[in-house]
This record gives sequence, structure tokens and C-alpha cells, in this order.
Amino acid sequence: MSALVRRGFCHVFGDNIPLDEGVMAFKFAIQRVNDPKELIPHLFEAIDPEFVRRVKPGDFVVAGRDFACGKTHVQGFIAMTALKMAVLCESISYKPLRRAAGEGLPVLAGCRGATEFAHTGDEIEVDFDTGAARNLTRGTRTEFPAMPPILRDLAVNGGMRGALANWLREHPEQAEAPVASQA
Amino acid sequence: MSTSASIGRPVSGQTATQKILARASGLARVEPGDVVHPQPELVIIHDGYVETAYQQLKAIGYRHIRNPERVVFVTDHEVAYTTQRAVERGRKNRQVAKEWGIGQLYDVGRGGHGHLFPMETGLVRPGMFLFAYDMHCTNFGAIGALAMGAGTEITAVLATGTLWTIVPHTVCVTLEGALPPGSHPRDVGFLLAHGFAERTWKVDHDYRVVEFAGAGLKTLDLAARVALGNSVTELGVANVLFAAPPPGLDFAAARDFVSDENAAYEAQITIDLAKVTPQVALPGGPERAAAVESVAGRRIDHAYLGSCGSGMYEDFVAAANIIRGHRVADGVRLFVVPGTTETARRLANDGITQVYIDAGAVVLPPGCGPCAGGIMGPLAPGEVSISTAATNHDGRFGPVGGEAFLGSPLTVAASAVAGQVTDPRGMAGASRRGVH
Repeated sequence: MSALVRRGFCHVFGDNIPLDEGVMAFKFAIQRVNDPKELIPHLFEAIDPEFVRRVKPGDFVVAGRDFACGKTHVQGFIAMTALKMAVLCESISYKPLRRAAGEGLPVLAGCRGATEFAHTGDEIEVDFDTGAARNLTRGTRTEFPAMPPILRDLAVNGGMRGALANWLREHPEQAEAPVASQA
Repeated sequence: MSTSASIGRPVSGQTATQKILARASGLARVEPGDVVHPQPELVIIHDGYVETAYQQLKAIGYRHIRNPERVVFVTDHEVAYTTQRAVERGRKNRQVAKEWGIGQLYDVGRGGHGHLFPMETGLVRPGMFLFAYDMHCTNFGAIGALAMGAGTEITAVLATGTLWTIVPHTVCVTLEGALPPGSHPRDVGFLLAHGFAERTWKVDHDYRVVEFAGAGLKTLDLAARVALGNSVTELGVANVLFAAPPPGLDFAAARDFVSDENAAYEAQITIDLAKVTPQVALPGGPERAAAVESVAGRRIDHAYLGSCGSGMYEDFVAAANIIRGHRVADGVRLFVVPGTTETARRLANDGITQVYIDAGAVVLPPGCGPCAGGIMGPLAPGEVSISTAATNHDGRFGPVGGEAFLGSPLTVAASAVAGQVTDPRGMAGASRRGVH
């Protein structure tokens, strides 16, 4: 099992960032847009129009309380996953936490003081298996709660889609017939 | 108020949720926080998601699902095929049902609302554990079954036969007394949702089972329990259960799945039903409760009785007692959506449907009605609605830009007749519970 350690630059947001009109415009949810190429240009657009110009693959979102609140639409998670991003937040509800892992996005919750530990532009390294975090820019370190193993495994294995692909490899009797027998 | 459950305290009793999940997971005992893989007795998916689930699994390479005999497709979102796309979706759903060999397909005109008819027909029974696609499956708590809403992860249930589940904590809500005339279990639900959201009791609701208990339960029939539980579901609770069966129903077969007296509840709340007054939920969600007086007089364009929260026979009888002998106000369109085919049959048989037709209401086929995205009976931008829908965020009944209030069947009926948001306590019939 590979370790889940991520290193990247931070984008810090406050409390109560909603999924709809916060992480991603609601219109992409009702249009069921799931293509990350279409979604990425609109990530955090409503609260930080410059975000998309700043963000680089592997960056972190650092947020306060109740990150990704509101209706649990996944389009924002799809875009962040495609950018290989990760999230630290003080708190997040159960459903979006679960849904993020299902999309393959690592989210470390319960990170009290995260928005003081890291400022926008800081480079950090986080071990999701232990919760150990280092701020490479400021030379500080802290311990957050570790990521629950079930969520960690999902995130590492490509979310639910990855898990179901693995299941199918282990249960080939459920697979499509090798030659389609269309009548 | 709060007692932390229960790891390290093995002498404590178990909640109903622990017992049901332990049995479904093949374990002697589980504790809140444990990750389990319960085997559902049923898997219920509605017509709006079958095709998506099929395409997602097919894209990964799946041809066969696990335990197809346990899978039930219900048709409640798009029951009248108002578009060509709907016709095609219906055809696809039938094709998927056949290809996967699922246990039961409730097609157009069969069964009705998938969160209601399974309780009428005995498909869902006390003590049962099941997974469903749609979050409002918490309704089944009214009959003593634990149904977990899997959302898009229902594909994992189809593929693997189970889904990882964290055993939730339980919050016990003790109901005392009885509701005064004109008040309704939906009003209790709105107030409870408001209290959770505003942290009135400093009690966490996120992914908690809300278990109702107390002497007040004796006054709440199955429809009342559905109305109550449904109103807190959108908040993100894990589930809703009741400590005792509704009057007239026997939980004998499920006695093992009632919480122990010394169960480790995470928190306890007490509500005096006698103090509950009619509420509306302001546009945005069921938790945005406000006393009906605060918006009384607000002109309405659209009203709707039905949905998974208020779609049972007793709901329509209660509202008809207010509407009988009146006309729906000019300029208001009132849609009446019996939840199930059996409810529609009984309402017709007992003359209740006639009351609505005589009043100028439009009776729609059993199912979700406007609450399924306004496929039928939508709300237009700039218009105002009051309804018994499951929720009322912007766009719930179709286009965004309307204002959707929620109320009890009594409040919606009174408002439809008056043409404005109206306190039902001033209306004759608001306190009658029977058919006549």
C-alpha cells in the first residue's frame, strides 16, 4: 500500500465555503457536466476569480469550518481531483467528505488551526496516513488527525470508480462478455 | 446533555441502528464509528437514476450485478412521460431491468412513490436493512426499517452487493404531549430541523440517526411519522427511527431491533408537542422554519399537496377537511399528488378526490409530483409557491427564480383556498382528523 503524502502550494479560504457558487457554479451540477476540462476553468470562480490563474497541479486548498457545505454536488471535487489537489479543512460534513473520497480527492478533516498553519502561497507537505504536516515555507510543523483508512484507501485507489474497477478484476464473472453478442 | 457513546463501555445497551447494522453485517455487535459492510435485503433505485447507474457500471466493464433479485426499480420521478426523452428513459429502464435480471420493476402506474408504497405493500418491513439511491428513503424509519441513502454510490451496492458504512451515533428526541388543532407533524419537523441547524440544543445532527421516543409517539400514525422524519432528512441526518411502532401496526417480528433502554444515545432532546404551532419553511430548506403568522398574507401562485413527505392517505384527508366546500382561489393552481396508486384508489373510493376536483384542484398521477424538478406542475421565475414538498431550494420545482415556501398539508390547503399564505387554525376543518 503506497503512502499518501502530498506536497504543494496552498490556497487558503475561510469558513462555510459552499460547493454550489463557492467551489463550483451550480449550473454545472444541473447540467451534469462531469468533464474536468470544462470544470477546471471555473474552480472557485465565484469567490476568487484569480484562483484558476494561480492554481497548479498538486496544490492544496486549506479551508476553515464546514468546507463544501450545501447540497453535495461533485463537480468541484471532479475538477480538484483532476488537478491532483488535496484539501485540509477544520471541518466538513459527512456527506461531502465521503463524496470527495469517492471522487478520489484526499480531504483531511478536523485540522484545527489549519488556516493559521498555512497561508496562501506557502508550500506544505502532508502525510495523510499520520496527519503530520510540515510548512516548508515557514519551517513549522504540526499534527492533524490522520485520514480514516477507509477514506484514504478510496482516495489512493482512484475513488469509487477505481475501487469498482479493482472489484471487477477480482470478480471477472461480472465482466462484460469478451465478444459482444448483439442480436 | 451529551453522553459520548460507547467504545470502551461494552456494558451499555445498543441502539436499534447498532442492532440492525450488526445483523446485516453478520457481526455480534457494532459500535458507532465502526466501518461495516452490511448486506441489504433490498436495493431501491428510482427511474431517474437507473440509466446513469447502468452506464457507469458498463463503462467500467460490468455486465452482471450482485444479487439482482434484491434490486427494485421504482417509477416516481417521471410518471407521465411529458417528453420524448422520458419515453426513451422509460424504455431504457425496462431494458436494464431485463438485462440485469432485477427482482422487481414497478413501472409507470405501478406502486407509485418508492418511498411510500413499499410500506403499504409490505415490501419494506420492520427491522429490515436496505440501501436506496435517494436520501428520502429515511421514510422507512416510520415502519421500523433502516434504509441508508447511498446516492451515486448505489453503483457500488449494485456492483459489489454492499457499501462501506460507518455506524452512526443516535440522537434521541423525546416527544411529549399531543399536537394542538391546526398543528401537524410537518410543523414539528420544521422546528426540529431549525433547532438542529441553529444548534439550539448544541446537538450535532450531521450523519446522526434521529430516534423519536416518548409518550407523544402514541398520537402519531404512520403518515405522521413519515411527515416528521422526512422534514429533517434534508439536513444531512443519517436516518430516522422510532422507538415504538405506530398505532395499529405490529413490530413483533422486529422486537429485536428496538433500542435497548440503556442504549448509549449521543444526545437527548425533548419536544413538547402541545407547544408546536403551524410553521412554514422559508425558501431555501426545511430548516428555515418560521411561524406561519410571519408570512401570512403573502400572495401565492402555486400550491401542491403530496411528495414523499406528505403523500399518504391521511395527509390528503386532513387537507380535504379544510378544502371541502371551498374553491381554490383564482390565480392559484393547486396540484394534488397522491403518493401511491393505493392511496389514489382509496381517495377516489372515499370521495376525497371529488373534494379536490370540486375545489378546482388538478389531481396528478401518483409519484413525486412537482418536487422532482418540476417535471410536472413547475413553478415559474417570479412566482410564489407553498407546498408539502420534501425541500424547497431554488429550482426544486423547475426553473430558478421562484419562491417556494413549505407548510403542512393543513397550511397548504388553507393557503390554496385563501390565495395567500394562511394560518390553518382559522379554518373550519383544521382540527378534524377523519374522512367526514
